Amino acid sequence: MRLARVRHAARAARRPGGDLSGPSLLVVVQRYGDVPGGAEAHARSVVQRLRPHFAIEVATTNSTDYLTWKSDLTAGLDKVDGVTVRRFPVERPRAWNFKLYERRAFRGGHTLDDERAFIDAQGPYAPELLDFLYRRGRDYDHVLFFTYIYYPTVLGLPLVPERAVLVPTAHEESAIGLAAYKPVFHAPRAIAYNTEEERRMVWRRFRNERVSNEIVGVGIDVPAERNAARFREKHGITGPYLLYVGRIGVSKGSRELFANYERWRASDPAHDVSLVLVGDAEIAVPKKSGIVHLGRLDERDKWDALAGCAAFVMPSLLESLSLVTLEAWAAGRPVIVDGRSPVLAGMARRAGAGLAYRTSAEFAEICELLTDDPGLGDRLGRSGADFVARTYTWPRVVETYLDLFAEVRARLAA
Amino acid sequence: MRILIVVQRYGAEVVGGSESHARVVAHRLAMVNEVEVATTNALDYWSWAPHFAVGESMDGPVRVRRFAVTGVRSPTFKDAERHVLFERHTRSDEEAWLAMQGPHTPGLLEFLRREGKSYNAILFYTYIYEPTAAGLPLVPERAALISTAHDEEPLRLVPYRALFQLPRAFGFLTPEERDLVHARFRNEHIPSEVLGIGLEPPPWRDPEPFREHYAPRGPLVLYLGQVSEGKAVDELIADWIAHREGGGAGSLVLAGTARMAIPERDDIVSLGRVSDEDKYALLEAADVLVLPSHLESLGIVLLEAWQVGTPCLVSAKNKVTSGQVARAAGGASYDRGGFANALAAVLAERERLGESGRVYVEAECAWPAFDTRLEQLVDLVAT
Repeated sequence: MRLARVRHAARAARRPGGDLSGPSLLVVVQRYGDVPGGAEAHARSVVQRLRPHFAIEVATTNSTDYLTWKSDLTAGLDKVDGVTVRRFPVERPRAWNFKLYERRAFRGGHTLDDERAFIDAQGPYAPELLDFLYRRGRDYDHVLFFTYIYYPTVLGLPLVPERAVLVPTAHEESAIGLAAYKPVFHAPRAIAYNTEEERRMVWRRFRNERVSNEIVGVGIDVPAERNAARFREKHGITGPYLLYVGRIGVSKGSRELFANYERWRASDPAHDVSLVLVGDAEIAVPKKSGIVHLGRLDERDKWDALAGCAAFVMPSLLESLSLVTLEAWAAGRPVIVDGRSPVLAGMARRAGAGLAYRTSAEFAEICELLTDDPGLGDRLGRSGADFVARTYTWPRVVETYLDLFAEVRARLAA
Repeated sequence: MRILIVVQRYGAEVVGGSESHARVVAHRLAMVNEVEVATTNALDYWSWAPHFAVGESMDGPVRVRRFAVTGVRSPTFKDAERHVLFERHTRSDEEAWLAMQGPHTPGLLEFLRREGKSYNAILFYTYIYEPTAAGLPLVPERAALISTAHDEEPLRLVPYRALFQLPRAFGFLTPEERDLVHARFRNEHIPSEVLGIGLEPPPWRDPEPFREHYAPRGPLVLYLGQVSEGKAVDELIADWIAHREGGGAGSLVLAGTARMAIPERDDIVSLGRVSDEDKYALLEAADVLVLPSHLESLGIVLLEAWQVGTPCLVSAKNKVTSGQVARAAGGASYDRGGFANALAAVLAERERLGESGRVYVEAECAWPAFDTRLEQLVDLVAT
């Protein structure tokens, strides 16, 4: 054991950017750096917060695009926020006929070969990342894997299970039913769930209650200064508005949002409420009056926008933790969610800070309610701000991670 | 309860420690449960050549589902194995090794994925073969792993890194196996049960003819099992010759299939394979049973010797057999060079050591004791 420690220290000293100030931690995630994506942003913020406590490195790919996995960055050593990032090459882009692999793996009579082909086709196909984990993974005291679904986690976690902690960011979707994912949820030393709803869903599916776990999530940094008037002036927004922030695409429920909004406005023209969309659009945004697409905004603009909205709308069904929903609450605004999303509806209920719709009519009713009675929105928003301050703070998140990692080390050293 | 047992080979005619254990367990559990076995159509563990008919059959109360092995073991397997065990190699080499080793049985794996959830518990035998290494990860939430592991090179390979973190519980053959697995995989948090084995009472036998034949020449020292270098019988023979040259008396009798050259001497007798009746007659007639092997996962022959009150001498290099001997206080272990002294010590106390062994086996290997341990294991995993 002592020998192993000496060897480990020697290797740590050789590592670029490695220091001997604390135990070592490798973070594995499909993309890293200036990339969109909730799980990726989550990983980066956790890395920044854990940095003072560990000799930390990131293992990821050289791609920023989850739809194609094209190699748009240089493979090799990189630095992000002062942290060493090892970028491994994606050896083939996502198959053009990926949908076919999906259909084969998700149909009733599929085979194990269909599952394996799906995982490779989904990517990012980076076998060198696996080779690195195979050869060097055990030099790190712990390895933190973000997102259960992608190749680096599915095939990488089983190479270092005795030191692996998983942040699944899981939600109900076809892929999670594949047998290939069972080891991902049974083999790690610990699991850091985002929400109670996520944990309940995983336990029900996998029966892996035995694996040590905590509900960790993330912390929300709230800027002290938020100025709705500045946002309105800069972007020429007048009157009450509903706000959506995030990727605009089919999987995010954007089409339903457009349809619900347009139906409401058509049936109730008296309420002059616009729908402001912030984020990159993967699908066409309807050129209808009332719908304003601003593209990506910087952090200050985003918080100004959040501060001024009548309500934040989150129509996505597939969320394990919606950071921007937590931010809307932190800004003191109410949230409108789709009642079919167990995580969002569950959180809105627990926070007492949101309203859930199941039909277009309910969507319209909620919008009317919130615009007619601004006091209600303020009350819900305050309750949301309390919920976030109670649960999603960095000191609590960091402490919970430190506890999980300490448990991993204790078992390895025993 | 519906219980499935997965094992690489199965049947009355299959020779092999873990396979025999699996069959015993299937029949014990079948007395109070609905038990099925998922296995291959192979009889031979090297070639995996087809032997049994694919499909369903009954072994007494046990329903046996046999799946086809696709392909036989590659003639270059040994080279591939040497490469992954002892030379510089890659992750993919280790992954490929598992399928090359076989028995590659895709139908069995698909069966587990599709039908696994219809069983309350699934017991997997032998960590090393593909039906377990690739099958258990498909049903970890209801799986027990009866690993039959010993300290060998393959235990370090990639396919097993996660395997030993996945089952809901472990069944170990001995406390030594448990300690090895815990030390290697740091998985003490997974519950486990040391199963050992249950034994039938020994059959009728007559030790007198063997006694009359060998007694005039001094002590009868028996080795029972495969006569091969793999079982360290070459070391035993060298130790024996040294013992004789040092003035020791007696005969070394080897009972088992000979897979090595045996020196032609009056004091070393090779009987080849013997009947069950002769086996127990020899065990009872012997003054001591010797087991020189370094790699035994249970050493069932020790238990059989103790059943008839014969003490045992085992290699100190093997933690499992020396652990068994210490627990039973039924013999001694020896280091190379210390054979003659250890032999003399055991012979001097033959009756006391043999009796102690007999008492131990009666307590540990009686069916009710074994059934209780088995039931505890099944309870740990059952859904």
